[in-house]
Amino acid sequence: MERLIVDAEGKVTIPPEIIHKYGLRPGDEISLVETADGLLVRVEDAEAWAWAQTWWNSLTEEEQQEARKEAEAYEALSTEERDAIWEEEPVSIEEDAEGDEIDLSAIQHPPR
Amino acid sequence: MTSQPSSILLDKGVIRRIYEFQVRVAKGLSPTPSQIEAVKVLVRLQHARNQLHITQQSANILQRRQPQYAKAILSGTGALQKGRYLRRWARRLREYAFSREDAVILAYGSFGVDLKAQSIGVGVIVTADLKLVTNFNARSAEVKERFDQMTLNLPTPYRSLSLPEVVTSATVLTDW
Repeated sequence: MERLIVDAEGKVTIPPEIIHKYGLRPGDEISLVETADGLLVRVEDAEAWAWAQTWWNSLTEEEQQEARKEAEAYEALSTEERDAIWEEEPVSIEEDAEGDEIDLSAIQHPPR
Repeated sequence: MTSQPSSILLDKGVIRRIYEFQVRVAKGLSPTPSQIEAVKVLVRLQHARNQLHITQQSANILQRRQPQYAKAILSGTGALQKGRYLRRWARRLREYAFSREDAVILAYGSFGVDLKAQSIGVGVIVTADLKLVTNFNARSAEVKERFDQMTLNLPTPYRSLSLPEVVTSATVLTDW
């Protein structure tokens, strides 16, 4: 548990380790939620940031460098170039393309 | 909707936003609200122990990017392959004003094959495309009738398949 001191203007300073842990940046929102146990400070989108942190920390330093390079390259692309990446391998729906479809007719599929 | 289905397909738009979230984080930039939303959907559905799927096309696109990005998504999802009758159903769906790409993702929802689980189709498709959801819901009665007509004449297990629900990622976060 962290203890924060409220200053004369009602402001508190969040410790750097918490800022780092939750990936907080200037402008990010934090909610104050009144609960039966007291005031809860909730970082908006905390689950997304925690996922990002877990992912990033799972990478070696070398992998992080590679990931940064990929990020630089991707961010430098135009919208059209990015769209083209995500439109690769379009699925043909023509009848003559049906040869690669997998037939599970011999297997009873489990209920969904 | 109050209860969650167990088998869910995340469409390519959702996967793209998750990847672009990672890119922004790696570059030290703030992700956009829609990218954050996509990651929250992934996290929530994983925590709720749903079987998460992506299409083989999405998996292939991710695998062509740096593996550091792909593994975070691929490790928690399974790729659906094109099952028998998928294209036939996609062609039928085109008659209901769905784009070719939308028809394909909807057809994956009914005829996509999870080879590991030996199952066909999913309960829900989660998409970032509100237009797809709107069109699907508006024409659901006609589409269901056509689907039932088609599957009635198919062999087991295809004749017992059903249409998935189609929801936006925002719906997952607000209504589930």
